[in-house]
Amino acid sequence: MSNAAAPEATRLVGMIGFRDDPDGIITAAETVRDEGYEKWDCHTPYPVHGLDAAMGLKDTPMAYICLIAGGIGAGAAMLMQWWMSVVDYPVRIGGKPLFSWPAFVPITFEFFVLFAALATMGGLFVLCKLGRWHSPLHDTGVMEQVTSRRFGVVLQADDEKFTEDGAKALLEKAGCVDIQPLIEFVEEEA
Amino acid sequence: MDQVETTTPDAPAAESGGSGKLKTIALALIALGGVLSLLAYMDEGGKTRFGFAYLLGFLFCWAIVLGSLFFVALQHVTNSVWSVVVRRVAEMLAAPIWVLALLFIPLLAFALLNKDFGIFPWMRAEKDALINHKAPYLNDTFFLIRTVAFFVIWIAFAFFFVRGSVRQDEGGEGRVKGTKRMRNVSGPFLIIFGLTATFAAFDWVMSLEPHWFSTIYGVYVFSGMFLSALAAITIAVLYLRQNGTLGFVNANHLYSLGGLLFAFTCFWAYIAFSQFMLIWYGNLPEETVYYVKRIKNGWMPITLAVVFLRFILPFFLLLARGAKMDPKRLMGVSVLVLVGQLVDLYWLVMPAQGDGPVLGWQELGPTALFTGVLLLYVGVFLGKHKAVAAGDPLFEKSRDFHL
Repeated sequence: MSNAAAPEATRLVGMIGFRDDPDGIITAAETVRDEGYEKWDCHTPYPVHGLDAAMGLKDTPMAYICLIAGGIGAGAAMLMQWWMSVVDYPVRIGGKPLFSWPAFVPITFEFFVLFAALATMGGLFVLCKLGRWHSPLHDTGVMEQVTSRRFGVVLQADDEKFTEDGAKALLEKAGCVDIQPLIEFVEEEA
Repeated sequence: MDQVETTTPDAPAAESGGSGKLKTIALALIALGGVLSLLAYMDEGGKTRFGFAYLLGFLFCWAIVLGSLFFVALQHVTNSVWSVVVRRVAEMLAAPIWVLALLFIPLLAFALLNKDFGIFPWMRAEKDALINHKAPYLNDTFFLIRTVAFFVIWIAFAFFFVRGSVRQDEGGEGRVKGTKRMRNVSGPFLIIFGLTATFAAFDWVMSLEPHWFSTIYGVYVFSGMFLSALAAITIAVLYLRQNGTLGFVNANHLYSLGGLLFAFTCFWAYIAFSQFMLIWYGNLPEETVYYVKRIKNGWMPITLAVVFLRFILPFFLLLARGAKMDPKRLMGVSVLVLVGQLVDLYWLVMPAQGDGPVLGWQELGPTALFTGVLLLYVGVFLGKHKAVAAGDPLFEKSRDFHL
């Protein structure tokens, strides 16, 4: 959003602080985690090993999504082939039974993989909250920094523990520099 | 990231204790297996039965040793960092390939000297038309030449890789050069390995039933071989980790080993099913005879046991992410995989005798004996060398490995 159209109002959405190296972001994350914040996030230019544990993130449900979808795919494939070759268009091939399951295994396997892969991709989109059109971070210059060289910790204003001074103090305690409020421009409704 | 507080182990594992117990177990197995083997051999009517049991025991140890050599070369060719801390364990299991060459001599002598009740039917004087047709490949001289060639090649490369790694322990400037040389040799070796392992499987196992053929057979034997080697490496790593020698092996290393075990469990299933389905679908008598033999005459329970032990049980036991890092679970699954390998080899070898499954102490003697020999070798190796490739230039990086 450009500044040309003068905004009518602003809203504080959070507080950001930076660290300059991956080891720093780990200690910073541990500090914030131990403080009991719930709505906060780390932004890094590349995946940092060990950050999940330092942030206290719970295990992802992705494995279950993948397994269940794969199971549904395999079941559907077996059912489809049974229906085709036993019910809808029975043809006796090579003197084998109509329901010759070994011949169906390759398709069943492929369906397992297909369903599991698509569900994993879709599940990832949902769990990452992709499809959200806008993030307040985009209005500030920080996105450019945390995608190229710096490591940012963002405390969201809608967390129960959030106060402007408290957040600032916590980020300082976490060893962050360049601490700044994240401001969102709100166009007032007519 | 936090520095892991670990010291580089300087002393051989034996000095920090642990290999004494190993040697005791090894000697007990050798004594037990030796007595059982001797009794089975003396049994007048049981010469052929003993020959098959000997082959079973040989193949079991051969698979672990050659699979470990493949593991070592694989880590070099992929330039792996994570595996440097566990590579010495694989090298220690790959080193005794020359012992297996010695163990193969009695089998060879037995097969060549007892042609009429020996274990390879194509060696018999009376040959039918099909075997005569295959005679340019399946004849005593060429068989002997191939066997010698396989062992010479494997021993040379095992010597090269183990020696190269042990030499790095002394430190010095040549370490980087040594690693580079091993990297360069590993690629060509893997091609040679693929060919020799395939033809060894054809010669030593598939030719027990010389009328039958399957082009995927070498891959099938390889999949079981690499699985059993991975299981043996995992067991050895967990054992050395528990007694402190490999104390720095962390969950990330274990996860990599568990992941490989899991992946090759699926690989085995893929190969085994590919072989079965094409033969079942084609339904040609000359091919189906192999499976018919293994379904009728009381063999069906063994066939199902192979499927469960090799695929279904390890697959579900290792499916979860946490399972691949849990030392107890990994140990259990590794033992299961080794049992599965033994049952699979039994399923491959024994039906060639013709009747229903027979299992008695006569079958187990050589397996116990050779496993004991392998363990004894490992005990001696640990007494002489370090249990970890601490001289590898990538050792520190590997110790601090994170997924």
